[in-house]
Amino acid sequence: MSVLRATAPLLLALLVAAAPAIAAPTQQEIEEALTCQCGCGLTVHSCNHLNCGSGEPMKKEIAERLARGETRDQILAAFTARYGEKVLSSPTFRGFNWFAWLTPFAAVLTAAAGLVVVIRRRVRSTAAAAAPAPAIPGSDTTALRARLQRELEQLDRE
Amino acid sequence: MPELGRLAVCLALLCALVSVIVSVRGALTRRGDLVRTGEHAAYAVFGLVALAVVILLRALLSHDFSLEYVAAYSSSTLPTNYVFAALWGGQKGSLLFWSFMLSLFATIVQLQNRERNRELMPWVTATLMTVAVFFLGLVTFLTDPFERLPTPAFEGADLNPLLQNYWMMIHPPSLYTGYVSASVPFAFAIAALATGRLGDQWIRSTRRWALFSWFFLSLGNLFGAMWAYEVLGWGGYWAWDPVENAAFMPWLVSTAYLHSVMIQEKKDMLRVWNMILVLLTFSLTIFGTFLTRSGVISSVHSFTQSGLGPFFIGFLLLVLLTAGGLVAYRLPELRTSGTIESFFSREAAFLFNNLILVGIAFAVFWGTVFPVLSEWVRGVKITVGPPFFNRVNAPLGLVLLVLMGIGPVIAWRRATPRNLWRAFAWPVGSALVAGVVLLVGGIPFGGAWVAFVGGVFALGTIVQEFWRGVRARQAMLHESAPRALGRLVGKNRRRYGGYIIHVGIVSIFVGIAASSVFRIEAQQTMKVGDEMRVGRYTLRYDRIDSQENGHVARTAAVLPVFVDGRQIDTLMPEKRFYKKPKQPTTEVANRSTLREDLYVVLGSYDPQTQLVTIQAYVNPLVVWIWLGGLILALGTAVAVWPTAAEREVRVVAPAGARVPVE
Repeated sequence: MSVLRATAPLLLALLVAAAPAIAAPTQQEIEEALTCQCGCGLTVHSCNHLNCGSGEPMKKEIAERLARGETRDQILAAFTARYGEKVLSSPTFRGFNWFAWLTPFAAVLTAAAGLVVVIRRRVRSTAAAAAPAPAIPGSDTTALRARLQRELEQLDRE
Repeated sequence: MPELGRLAVCLALLCALVSVIVSVRGALTRRGDLVRTGEHAAYAVFGLVALAVVILLRALLSHDFSLEYVAAYSSSTLPTNYVFAALWGGQKGSLLFWSFMLSLFATIVQLQNRERNRELMPWVTATLMTVAVFFLGLVTFLTDPFERLPTPAFEGADLNPLLQNYWMMIHPPSLYTGYVSASVPFAFAIAALATGRLGDQWIRSTRRWALFSWFFLSLGNLFGAMWAYEVLGWGGYWAWDPVENAAFMPWLVSTAYLHSVMIQEKKDMLRVWNMILVLLTFSLTIFGTFLTRSGVISSVHSFTQSGLGPFFIGFLLLVLLTAGGLVAYRLPELRTSGTIESFFSREAAFLFNNLILVGIAFAVFWGTVFPVLSEWVRGVKITVGPPFFNRVNAPLGLVLLVLMGIGPVIAWRRATPRNLWRAFAWPVGSALVAGVVLLVGGIPFGGAWVAFVGGVFALGTIVQEFWRGVRARQAMLHESAPRALGRLVGKNRRRYGGYIIHVGIVSIFVGIAASSVFRIEAQQTMKVGDEMRVGRYTLRYDRIDSQENGHVARTAAVLPVFVDGRQIDTLMPEKRFYKKPKQPTTEVANRSTLREDLYVVLGSYDPQTQLVTIQAYVNPLVVWIWLGGLILALGTAVAVWPTAAEREVRVVAPAGARVPVE
């Protein structure tokens, strides 16, 4: 259906727009990819606990590793090795975790597809029900139809 | 005295049980006297719970530290307004407060419906009182707020300092009001299912309640965001914490309901769907309470954690099974033969709006529970944090924003190309112009750009609606513009109230997009006399200002703010030290303007060297989020205000007379 075809590029554009730019890793980017382990539940970047026993050393270590020229993946791997996967602030794009990322979109797209099917079926059955309009000889149906359309529109506007 | 409170709660539980049994029996045997008795028992529940609340408040205000609750959540130096707030500051008190709100709303519903909806009312009473039995059961058997300590404490442990903030006075009551009032439409839905009166009536009777609940959920969420922004001091207002999500999900589903219910009213479609949305909203409020208290999912906001989780899950299952069973039982009668004529119709636009709203709710739910799922399946703990929610919800939210522009103006039934041109030429045109202007003005293509352009589009359709309505009245009735505007809104409050709410939502969208994408941050350790730059501002560290009383000690850094060498303000971010719980907190200094917030935090302070570390953020357009909330409140007021016709009915019909259903 054309609606789907029309909205798909828009959706795609929105997805692309929402994705972060790919560039050299910055301190902030990596701090945001890691969860502070002090129990605050925020990312390392956001945690501002007074002399946070977890966040502050992590920030320092990230800076040191960046200075050594390590990549984002290397740095995150080092922290994961130490604290386990829970240190990452969002699920990885790997294995079972794909489930986390894809399920919401899959659910919305499946439901949208279902909706499109239902609407199309209804549109067709409505059209079929309306089709066999017996022509009454001598009556100007086009004018009547136009008037009906006008009045219905008027009604909708109210 | 506290023993009397405990007695009141026990009696209230008993009355609630009686009310449930008698109401159901009255409904089944069609005996009006039993139905009335059920209602009277429910009034008694309200009276008894109110008494218990008064007794607990009295214990708090008189610093009766022989009570465990009073000793745990207040102290003799706690300011009086926070002593009041301590009523909902801990789990035991908050469950009692919840029961109080529920019985209050049940009482109001019964008074409203003394002569109306008589078929539905016994089931409404029974449903509300079943919920009351659950909460009062918890208060009676598991979380007794009137529990005495073995030996009275000499002094209380004080309220958590993070909660000692004026938002504590407003945010929890708003959220509770929103949560608890969602039980009213739920109770009417159950009553409709139980009686088989599945028509419009239960929906019309609960329209205001649904809007009321939605409004307070909106406020609760916004107040929570403001609170987090002002108090937690990390420069943001929303962290996708499980407890925030718990309040956000019912709001989303409730929003979906408020829209789809219009289709049922206009075209008698979507009966099943609307039923499901109402049941889901209520279930999500219970799920939200479960999240806050279970400790299953760790959260910063779980001030009231405990082992109540299994009870909430049990109750939730009961609700879902009962409601699901009833819907399945009535499914043949709930089916409607509504027609949709085209994809280009308001019906279709509303269906997609519902899809996205419920889709976002599902995404939030999914992200919230995924850590538990991961632990089950893989045995590995993972974190699903803000980056996940932002990335998943941003595209869905932006689609919603665009739909918000389409839904209100596209024609019902079938839009012809001419309709479409008439409805969208101006809004789309202005959105395109805005898009180009933004690109030229240095806003790159991306999430924020889409949000701004989508906002202009949605706003365009609304402005156009107002404009055309006013022009039409001016042309036909020769009214002056302000008068025409007033009449236009007055004649159709629900519609134009809704438009105003949409303006508020656009403002919120724009504020969120700008402040999350274009935020600037800086951190610097300074000695007296040093300066730091953030955005267009320069901050100079002049001195430290210290104050102290018996309750709290404060240390503030005095920072004059300069723009282009001219001083425009002085900010004083603070550290506070609360003496009873021996806990430090951060007090943010925020200079808020329509353009941006300059948000300054005193990160650390060394008394020996006088060195301070300052974190400063420039958050653009944050005020637009709060302004959006204000506009939303205005729109809701317009929408719920009775129309002239409704007011007349009330005047004509004397109190107690049989008023024809709305």
